[in-house]
Amino acid sequence: MVVETVSLAAVAVCTAAPLVGAVTLRLTERRIDPRLVASAAVGISLVASLVAAACWHLGSGRPTTFGPGLTGGSVVLVDGLTAILLPYVAVVDMAIVLVAPRRAFASPGVRRLLAGAAITFATLSTSHPVALTILWGVSILATWTTIRSTAGGRTTARVYGLAMAAALACMISGTTLLVADPPWLTGSGTTGATGGWLVAIAVMIRKGLVPFHSWYHTLFSGASLATALVVTMPQVATYTAVRLLVGHADGVPDELLVLSNAALMTAAYGAALAVVQRDARGLVGMLAMSQSAMVLAGLAGTVPTELCGALAVWVSSGLALTGIGLVVWALESRGGAISIETLQGRFADAPALAAFFLLFGLATLGFPGTLSFVADDLIISGSLDDHLHAGLFVIAATVFAGIAVMRGWFHVFGGRVTVDAPRHALLPRERVAFTALVIILFGLGLWPGPFVRSLEKVATSLLASRHHHAAAPLPESHP
Amino acid sequence: MTPPRPFDDPLSVLVICQLVAPVVALASIGLPALLGRPLSERTTTRVVGSAFATSFVAALVTLVMIINRGFAAHVVHLGSMFAVGHHAATIELVADGLSVPYVCFSTGLCALVNAFAGKYLHREPGFARFFILLALFGTGMNLMVLAGSIDALFAGWEFLGISSALLIGFFHERRNAVDAAMRAFCTYRVCDVGLLAASVVIHQATGSGDFAALFAGTWPEATCLVPGTTALTVSLLLVFAALGKSGQVPFSGWLPRAMEGPTPSSAIFYGALSIHAGAYVLLRCESVLDAAPAAAWLLVAIGGGTALHAAIVGSVQTDLKSMLAYASMTQAGIILAEIGLGLRVVPLVHVISHAILRSLQILRSPSAMHDRHELAAALGGHPGSSDWSLVRLLPRRVSRSLYHIALERGFEEAVVTRLVVLPLMAMLKAADGLERRWTTLLGGGSTEGRMRHDSSGGMP
Repeated sequence: MVVETVSLAAVAVCTAAPLVGAVTLRLTERRIDPRLVASAAVGISLVASLVAAACWHLGSGRPTTFGPGLTGGSVVLVDGLTAILLPYVAVVDMAIVLVAPRRAFASPGVRRLLAGAAITFATLSTSHPVALTILWGVSILATWTTIRSTAGGRTTARVYGLAMAAALACMISGTTLLVADPPWLTGSGTTGATGGWLVAIAVMIRKGLVPFHSWYHTLFSGASLATALVVTMPQVATYTAVRLLVGHADGVPDELLVLSNAALMTAAYGAALAVVQRDARGLVGMLAMSQSAMVLAGLAGTVPTELCGALAVWVSSGLALTGIGLVVWALESRGGAISIETLQGRFADAPALAAFFLLFGLATLGFPGTLSFVADDLIISGSLDDHLHAGLFVIAATVFAGIAVMRGWFHVFGGRVTVDAPRHALLPRERVAFTALVIILFGLGLWPGPFVRSLEKVATSLLASRHHHAAAPLPESHP
Repeated sequence: MTPPRPFDDPLSVLVICQLVAPVVALASIGLPALLGRPLSERTTTRVVGSAFATSFVAALVTLVMIINRGFAAHVVHLGSMFAVGHHAATIELVADGLSVPYVCFSTGLCALVNAFAGKYLHREPGFARFFILLALFGTGMNLMVLAGSIDALFAGWEFLGISSALLIGFFHERRNAVDAAMRAFCTYRVCDVGLLAASVVIHQATGSGDFAALFAGTWPEATCLVPGTTALTVSLLLVFAALGKSGQVPFSGWLPRAMEGPTPSSAIFYGALSIHAGAYVLLRCESVLDAAPAAAWLLVAIGGGTALHAAIVGSVQTDLKSMLAYASMTQAGIILAEIGLGLRVVPLVHVISHAILRSLQILRSPSAMHDRHELAAALGGHPGSSDWSLVRLLPRRVSRSLYHIALERGFEEAVVTRLVVLPLMAMLKAADGLERRWTTLLGGGSTEGRMRHDSSGGMP
């Protein structure tokens, strides 16, 4: 009981801290260093998320729920998935706050970052269909407003707005139909089935799965890199799919099959397109699209190894791609946009950034000693256990992603040197952020046992919930 | 009964020491460099040299102990890194008549190259980087060679691949070096699929990645434990993986270009060690190859074909490094053919002797060229060369055709580029172009403004 109370309090603090930070910044208007406020707010969220994760472990892996329930979902739910994702998102946000260039803090953007973080934390702590839908709407509106206010971002905002309007419409109508007639309960009819398909389409659009993926590239190209990372790295659509579809797989098998196959195609297609990108942002975008699709493909699987692999890819690729994205941002802030059509020769200019780019790249492409090696091993093994074609798509994706990352590294840092010595030394806050990400990625890669055991617990509970929901809904609320 | 702890047995300690020494060197020079405080040149070479020397001595002592035990394999269980359901990644090291000689000559050569490179790369901007990559390579080589499971072997294999590619592109300011590095990396990455898939097949067939579940007995007289179809699948995948690392046709294009890297790395990686990684994997799984005659004969055909191809192409090369690269390719082809023919000790001896000879030749090549220039200056002209050649015995028309084929490097690269690389790249670029046009249409205008704005980094 105490553990559950602490867990709920930790989630509340985790969600509220960024909001308080945003309000503080609004009230103080530059009298306090905005980076300090943002770091403190996200830092509190990070600590609180770790407390929530510890509570989940202490509570023997039992989920903690709060508030009224609906079709098996609760307004607040802290289970294994939430316990893993909250610290992960907090680390991503913290890295962004630390690496963001100084001038980025002169704008109201930092308040939007904090508000966005709060929305994400709230989303990842609920399984209630209505709450999820509302949070989808709020986050889409906030992101669209942000992109629109970015210099030259109107076109991107238009593409993003069109895609997300469609996604939101599908989500609203789909959840309504799902709630009215849950397809995982006996006696359901076409209403529930239609709802399932609409939610699946909403997830496909918001995840950027083929054929609804075009906004993904545009977002990375036309919006701020911080916006792109904050929007894509938490993978809110995947989380929604887990809560509304994967958790009820017995009721929506066809929807999951389509999602899984679309995700597999996206993983391979995105990685292949990453090989021919013309600029560093496009490279990060395509890699992010590919890796995040791999997560959904794995989560739709039916064996624990595959689910474990998917969860590990969620964290490893998210942290590694955040690292690459932030290195690109740091390079852009020093010398403008980076083309990778020709060799840019940035090595002598920024050798430390070259080293971190390479390390994050290796952590993306399944290099031994990194978490992604463990993740790839699990997801490939699991997907081949499940379906041969799934394993082949995943292998193709890893091959293309590896080539794309190394091409990116050589093209950004290779080439004729234009300076004699490093002009742009790494700032201490940047070094702290990059080093922390490297320590997490390599630490979990070299000593993956405890983390993989946690993932296995989550995977097992997800698989169990599928069959559980087929029989009867989960207990819906905790007083 | 509880399994014996690794550190209770002196032989196990020695085996672990062979692997840990280069890891310690990698961490000792890599972490300060990452934190912006690289060690001095002298300290760097001493740390790396001590690590390889330690590993070499440990391997020598292990070899003596193994010989005293009649070449019985000694297995060190280091536990499982992680396990989910039936899938477990175990770390097991094996010291036997195959792995320990391999560690001896690989660490010995690495120590030698360390000493050579300390002088050769003095005051080079990438001095620390070279030694980090050398330590990474040594770690990968020892891990791959001592691996008692396909998982550990694959990890070592990946270390070799990335360190080799980065060393080929060591002089990254040169366009040719970058292109050569990317060519090598792409070849490795494609062929690594073979090892990755073999690993998965082994896991599925045996429920474990341990070699003990794949074959029983002591090398070179192990017995395959899996059914014929599984053995054939695994063998074909391993042969595919070996072709890339060993520079065999049709994946040999990267090897001559790999000489873009610094001379010490060329010597150790493409002349001596990296090129024999494929041979090691096939020797390790020799019993599986024995159970799949079709794969073995395929290996003989490819190895023999590559040897012939490289001998012909190598004979018209005009620079010393390229000649040596093709000579290495020839020997690697012969070694693979020997393995395919069912020989075991002969290819091992061939690998070791070839590696030592080729390293010496490549390391000596810059000074050999210097000596030759001095001789030419002293003689007042070119010292000349022998007119005798086996090709002269052939009819003139045949020798002309061969010459043409050799100049075009056997058309191997042209065929691969034309039939695979160019169509694939054209397809991907077309898809990317369509994507851009579609998003431009959706956006109601151009989305190409991305390269002009937001280097300032507006927050969301």
